[in-house]
Amino acid sequence: MTPRVYITGMGVVSALGLGRRDFWASLLAGRSGASPVESFDASALDRAVAAEAKAFRARDHLTARELRDAGRCSAMAIAAARMAVADARLPHEALRTERASVVLGTTMGECDVLSRLDDAWIRRGRDAVDRADVARYSPSLLPIHVARALGSKGMVLTLPAACAAGNYAIGFACDLIRAGRADVVVTGASEMLQELQYCGFLRLGALAPERCQPFDLNRQGLVVGEGAGVMVLESEAHCLRRGATPLAEVGGWGIACDAYHITRPHPEAMGSVKAMRDAIARSGLGPAEVDFVNAHGTGTRANDAVETRAMRDVFEGRRVPISSVKSMIGHCMGAASAIEAVSCVETVLSGLYPPTIGYDTPDPECDLDVVANAPRAGAADVVLNNSLAFGGYDAVVCFAKVGRLAPPADRAVTQ
Amino acid sequence: MKPLAVTGLGVVSPLGIGWSAFVEGLEDPSREVFSTESSLFDMGPYEGARVGEVRGFDAAKIIGDKGLRNNDRLTKLYLVAARLGLEHAGLKAKGAWTAYGPDDVGVVAANAFGSLEAIHELNTVARLEDPRYINPARFPNTVINSSLGYVSIWEDLRALNATVVSGPAGSVESVGCAEMYLSNGRAKAALVGGGEALSESLVLALHRVGMLAVRPAEGAVLAVLEPEPAARARGATVYATVTGYGTAFEGPDDDDRLFAPSQKALERAMRAALADASLAPSDVDVVASGLAGYAPLDGPESAALAAVFGGATRVASPKERLGETFGASGAMALAWCVAQMRAGGAATAIIPSLGFYGNASAMIVRRAEQ
Repeated sequence: MTPRVYITGMGVVSALGLGRRDFWASLLAGRSGASPVESFDASALDRAVAAEAKAFRARDHLTARELRDAGRCSAMAIAAARMAVADARLPHEALRTERASVVLGTTMGECDVLSRLDDAWIRRGRDAVDRADVARYSPSLLPIHVARALGSKGMVLTLPAACAAGNYAIGFACDLIRAGRADVVVTGASEMLQELQYCGFLRLGALAPERCQPFDLNRQGLVVGEGAGVMVLESEAHCLRRGATPLAEVGGWGIACDAYHITRPHPEAMGSVKAMRDAIARSGLGPAEVDFVNAHGTGTRANDAVETRAMRDVFEGRRVPISSVKSMIGHCMGAASAIEAVSCVETVLSGLYPPTIGYDTPDPECDLDVVANAPRAGAADVVLNNSLAFGGYDAVVCFAKVGRLAPPADRAVTQ
Repeated sequence: MKPLAVTGLGVVSPLGIGWSAFVEGLEDPSREVFSTESSLFDMGPYEGARVGEVRGFDAAKIIGDKGLRNNDRLTKLYLVAARLGLEHAGLKAKGAWTAYGPDDVGVVAANAFGSLEAIHELNTVARLEDPRYINPARFPNTVINSSLGYVSIWEDLRALNATVVSGPAGSVESVGCAEMYLSNGRAKAALVGGGEALSESLVLALHRVGMLAVRPAEGAVLAVLEPEPAARARGATVYATVTGYGTAFEGPDDDDRLFAPSQKALERAMRAALADASLAPSDVDVVASGLAGYAPLDGPESAALAAVFGGATRVASPKERLGETFGASGAMALAWCVAQMRAGGAATAIIPSLGFYGNASAMIVRRAEQ
């Protein structure tokens, strides 16, 4: 019988603090994580703001060996994973098994290590390329560092999927458990701020000067963020066996590809609509039963307009409350949907929608029920986490209050 | 797992472009694959090293040149493999759909390192000129999954698009992932496999760690996989079936190590793949091994093979002719297995895939009953 998949613990590294409690309190307080960039010299650039995880110091969370071998991206993943496991009160024996897996998303992986390698070559010549750094580069290292930290022995997998990578990982992790290939999966995503990426977004004209204002008439683009969001997923039976209290259930998830353009969304939101509908149907629900949507909401003109169109099509005109926490934590790229998944689960637990800050002037083109500037209490049994990435990578995950969804066997499997 | 049919193979390898070139190249041992020269960069600093380049590779000849200007080599290798695979499987002819359609077909494939070429190109501009001068049209190439993203755009594949990274085990992992997506009805068929492009970044890295003996090579193999009953129902040619998959991870006993290929993980992965296919080790006719002439990897792999098969099973080394293609290596081995099976050489093969850091995967390939 297909098992339910429960979330039993969560860890976060973000510009708004470390750990789910600080993170959630900051979101409800409407704090902005944007501040002047410190990790590289942005003085010559037209933009100088990002949502860096400035409170994150790898040495507070990693062993000496991990500090030596892990880039910042892996370091954040290791830290968030340890927080998630502690939050789940998961005994180490439950992880030291072939039935425990690690599945993580990212966009650039260990890009600081690669940058170091390239830098040595470009500035000082081939012989300056550090041998030990070569082994530290692989993007496959993210889940391997985490698996070593936790002692797990099942699958270790990296799913790079641009800014939808977190949902790709969480969705795949659920499928692993539902297929009986794992009992516990530590999953999520990690991404670090890096100069090359920052300049790339700048050159694409995607960066806002100071504030990210999703769905606002005068929105000017995104603010790049960084961090990691990691959750412990367990099968229902595994939860019961160890007497764990689930935080929420992961419902269905949907995936699609626009197959349209490498940086522009499909004008009719084709892939987004399919992924959202799929997530709802695979949860055994109809669109009328969705209470809240965590928006992809990057604050770019194109994304927010197209996401509005997807909302209208999927909910057939019903105004479902929607909010974008990217207004506070920035766009954490590959990690975005994983960090925001933590926010979704907090919404399910608390019945509170986090605000979209900087929402000053409604945009008629984005005619949505935006949770403007202050948190709002409301129904939160069923929450969708939208991730509609560059390249047309659309992945949407449904989170639900424990007990809200029908057993998996009674849900639609294919549409 | 329920058997997945291999109904088409898009192959770009150092043996040439297309399935026929691959098969003919394998059958002709006089054909020199490796060279101390590369058309992509100066091999001078890497004296004695030999690489397996896809010689004379011109994507425009096969898929046209519209819109290729800003694509990197990895993307072009994938694009050609995708087109060839879709046509080989009878899903497309002359660019038009002949079976299934855009919403039915996805892509699930691996690469090990992303586009090192693209990242180095942009880093060079940023370091030596100014970060403000990087070309925005080439910036997406720095993202690990963008190459496959272009495949979906180019071929209009809307069901899903997933890049899998697991070092040299990536291709086998992509089959495991595709099995999950297909069995959950997220696509009816998928292009599955891997790609890797030669670049000076890659060769320099291998040079620095003393690993050039593996003979780095490039290419892409995208196989069309679909559930066997559906493949039979649409009258497709079934070239082989994938009937088992396994994966494992073992951290090293000595925690100080990072590079730590694990014999134990590979043993577990192979045993899991055999169990998944309901086979015993003695049912396997040939091991399409990853042996490539680098002792720190060949040692644990040989030991794992001895532990599982006890020396009774033929161990082949496809990399002798194809080189080390990292993220594409498992898919190259799949193409190699199909070529052997078509020639009547083996009925059941296992593809072991040993990662660098304690991860390992394996899959079972069987000759199709016609």
